[in-house]
Amino acid sequence: MKAKITLIICIGCTALILTAVMFTQFKTVDQTDITAIETMREAELRTELASWKTKYEDIETKIEERDSKINEYKQELNNGANSLKILEDEVKEAEGYLGYTDVEGEGIVVTLKDTDIYNIENYELLKLVNELNIAGAEAISINDQRVVSGTDITLVNNRIILVNTKKVSGPYIVKAIGDKKYFESALTIKGGYIDEVKASGRDVEYKVEDNIVIPAYDGELEFKYAKENVKEKEVKE
Amino acid sequence: MLYISIILGCIIGALIGINAPVISYTYSSYLSIAIIAALDTVFGGIASVVKGNFDLKIFLSGFFGNSILSIALTYLGNKLNVDIYLAAIVVFVGRMFTNLAIIRRYYLEKWIQFTEKMKENKTKVEESE
Repeated sequence: MKAKITLIICIGCTALILTAVMFTQFKTVDQTDITAIETMREAELRTELASWKTKYEDIETKIEERDSKINEYKQELNNGANSLKILEDEVKEAEGYLGYTDVEGEGIVVTLKDTDIYNIENYELLKLVNELNIAGAEAISINDQRVVSGTDITLVNNRIILVNTKKVSGPYIVKAIGDKKYFESALTIKGGYIDEVKASGRDVEYKVEDNIVIPAYDGELEFKYAKENVKEKEVKE
Repeated sequence: MLYISIILGCIIGALIGINAPVISYTYSSYLSIAIIAALDTVFGGIASVVKGNFDLKIFLSGFFGNSILSIALTYLGNKLNVDIYLAAIVVFVGRMFTNLAIIRRYYLEKWIQFTEKMKENKTKVEESE
């Protein structure tokens, strides 16, 4: 009797285990997507990994090639003629702004003459330069002395006018390059500069020209105390 | 009693199997070979019952031993890069067929005997009449 009970239990248990495992397997086979990475065989994953590794290495070598090429180009750019030209252009432009080059273009020529009664004084010239700058002058000269950022127009001994610390005497020919119509209207406006000067009994003439040549500034501009404000620039950027 | 326990075991096992989590495909190949080994043992057991020399110890040891051994051999085959599980399947399935043949022959003979008995009974009845 006891032997029979153990037999029954054992057979039942084996049946249970067998069917449990079988149904698990059925389910696994049924639900397995052969392309899904989680269920792939190790060997498949290994081959996949190997192929990806080779691809990765290929791409890496390509990247290295590209990097070296980029470096070459950079060096060429640093050493080459192209960059030199760019730099030269930049320098030229900067010099143009500073007044280190001869320039030409349309503009206006204002001539101020001393009369018997009044001499032209420096504030007259200063005011004229100011008016011209307001009207958008790109280059100004007084008796071929270029007006730059550091130009001084001073009166010495109530007689002599210095521009760029160089003596100039009448007639004072002020040349300005810019929009000639704009200059004309700015100066001849009623109660404007020309009217004012004439009213004070001085002689003034102006002539609009298409081709004015303004010589370069022959002095030197040097920064001794001013330095570029790097901090501010960084903040702005 | 025995049949009830088998049916009960099958139902509970099926329920457990259905609710069990899906195992990794890598290990499912081991499980499949274990199932084949177990089935072989089951059919061998039925055949031995038919023959009349069934032993529970031999059956149980065969059931678990064969499964574990087949899994181990498959694992070894994986390590050696030889498909040993193919040999295991051939052996187990071949044995399953021979056992099934024994069972079939036994029940066929039984059925033939039964029908012959019926015939004899019929003729006896006819003779008596």
